Amino acid sequence: MSGPEVHHLFHRPIADHSFSADRKILAVAKDSAVELYGKVAGAFKLKDELKGHDKTITGVDIAPNSGRIVTCSQDRNALVWEPSSTGYKPTLVLLRIARAATFVRWSPSETKFAVGSGDRVIAVCYFEEENDWWVSKHLKKPIRSTITTVSWHPNGVLLAAGSTDAHARVFSSFIKGVDARPDPSVWGERLPFNTVCGEFMNNSAGITVVYPTAPEQPPRAVISINTQLLPFMSLIWSSESEIVAAGYDCEAFRFQGDASGWQLSGTLESKGRPGLGDAREESALNMFKQMDLKGKAKDDTQLKTVHQNTISTVREYESNDGNVTQFSSKS
Amino acid sequence: MSQSLRPYLKCVRSSVTAALCLANFASQTSERHNVPEVEAQSSPEVLLNPLVIARNENERVLIEPSVNSVRISIKIKQADEIENILVHKFTRFLTQRAEAFFILRRKPVKGYDISFLITNFHTEEMLKHKLVDFIIQFMEEVDKEISEMKLFLNARARFVAESFLTPFD
Amino acid sequence: MSIIQQHTSASLSDAWRTINIDALDPDSSQNFDTTSLHPPLPEINEADVRQLNAQVRQLLRGGDAEGALRGCLETPVYNGSESAKTVTEVLQSIKASDMSPMLERIHQSPGGSELLDVLIKYLYAWQPLPAPVVLLGWREAGHRVPLTPQQTGFSQVGSRPGSTNESTGAAMSVILSWHEKVIDIAGLGSIGRCMTDWRKV
Repeated sequence: MSGPEVHHLFHRPIADHSFSADRKILAVAKDSAVELYGKVAGAFKLKDELKGHDKTITGVDIAPNSGRIVTCSQDRNALVWEPSSTGYKPTLVLLRIARAATFVRWSPSETKFAVGSGDRVIAVCYFEEENDWWVSKHLKKPIRSTITTVSWHPNGVLLAAGSTDAHARVFSSFIKGVDARPDPSVWGERLPFNTVCGEFMNNSAGITVVYPTAPEQPPRAVISINTQLLPFMSLIWSSESEIVAAGYDCEAFRFQGDASGWQLSGTLESKGRPGLGDAREESALNMFKQMDLKGKAKDDTQLKTVHQNTISTVREYESNDGNVTQFSSKS
Repeated sequence: MSQSLRPYLKCVRSSVTAALCLANFASQTSERHNVPEVEAQSSPEVLLNPLVIARNENERVLIEPSVNSVRISIKIKQADEIENILVHKFTRFLTQRAEAFFILRRKPVKGYDISFLITNFHTEEMLKHKLVDFIIQFMEEVDKEISEMKLFLNARARFVAESFLTPFD
Repeated sequence: MSIIQQHTSASLSDAWRTINIDALDPDSSQNFDTTSLHPPLPEINEADVRQLNAQVRQLLRGGDAEGALRGCLETPVYNGSESAKTVTEVLQSIKASDMSPMLERIHQSPGGSELLDVLIKYLYAWQPLPAPVVLLGWREAGHRVPLTPQQTGFSQVGSRPGSTNESTGAAMSVILSWHEKVIDIAGLGSIGRCMTDWRKV
């Protein structure tokens, strides 16, 4: 893998980001607006701004085929932005949640998406033709706390969710008329809406990998990896036997293994690369802020990593043969 | 730095670093609010185990971590009444100007002299390792500051006493 | 017309305003069942604990400090102060120069990182937490020595700071140096796990 491309966009935290299928457009959540960047000659230029939320945006996702963008925010709403010749047109989604929305992802079929929320529900949203409206169905039980992350199974029916009650759960989000009946899998055969297919607990600053076997049976293997590192915020499967995770250590780490065992195989950063120069300029503002705060300047302002702060999301950027060759991350 | 201070500060440093893993987290109890959970105390599952690091009975640090905020309370060494008064004056001076210090809490947690409240917005805006450095540096300096003030006060008292007593020479 | 039909002394005062109505709602997030946050604790009765402590002391007397430490860590006793005391005894009996190699050996052995996580928990559990406002309560025991007032106002002779509690200070420094050594080997992740794990020793 070649060195990372560093694109410095602005001095604000990025809650979430998403690339379009051709990787020409990058959507970035900045406060209560989503900024769309287009790639021009290797650099990202601000193209458009989607304003519609009045609180911090927590999730943004671009559907690869239709180009629709879905955003969700702490103002309890989600918006679907339909691309048109005159720009993006927002449609409000009927979420029916009373707390902040925390995370949103399109299903692989792009006919529905899941919104995680602080209301202890996951809203699975789909488009209802007769009402011309995005409506939602709630996954409720047995969630007891805020949902922090969701992820779709490639079949578009199974949904995995992580929440602050220290559990990860796998749900069925089958909606009649929207989904084709899924093939039976290790998670179960008949999957009506809100079937809980699995529930796993993790309360450590590591990674737990679960291999399912058959429905109603304990998983084949549950492997917990305890690391010496700080907690992770986000992870992706780069292949069947490799995970890339990143978080509070400001670095991305690679884990490798299979059903017999997993281990940390190293960081993705080679320290002291030339690319570090960019990062150094980037946080000049921060450095001055620190100088202001402490009344003196020090040489150790910079961490030896590309990211100077916590990495909040890692997403697949380019994949071939099922292996992720590039990914993007944000802090 | 004295021999026993170093492991104490090192322990505080590693604990604070581990505790400062904060994420944006909107309130589960009140709509459209985003409050430091460690202050709100409304959802037990997002509050983590508080840690106490003590050097002795008079010097200790309480770290109360939660999902989006960490409260760090420091009990500054006070060996006698003079130091007690000095610490009180000093922390009062700081807390009255809390808005200029961003992470300073206006009121210390009971049983402690000064408290910091660091939220995810602080860690997003400022560099985390620098925040940790700041806390550690504060702890280093404050002892020095207090003992310097005490020395100065004593010197001044001696001077005053001498000048009062000169007529009797 | 007011909603409150009958005026009683309770309704006239403002006391009802301070009632936390969220606490009365079983579905409120305040009433989160925290027992769901950890796997069920192993059943362990007092006799077992006593036997374990005796075993550990036996090993310690026999000079096998590492075995004693392992013995403590392999069967952590949750919510018991007795075994925390034993752990402290074991820790204090180990020489500073032996700490790192011993921890290294434990860490390398299978399941070693969990053992060190337990050790970190014991280290934090030992830190004496004074009485006031402990919201979740890591350990409510511990005592607070009242500030000894000194009449010696301006005197330079007064007691040296910290001299009143030399013994606790010494014990603390042992704990602190253990903490440092464990973090060197097990990393910051172990503190993170100590904070997030609801199974408290």
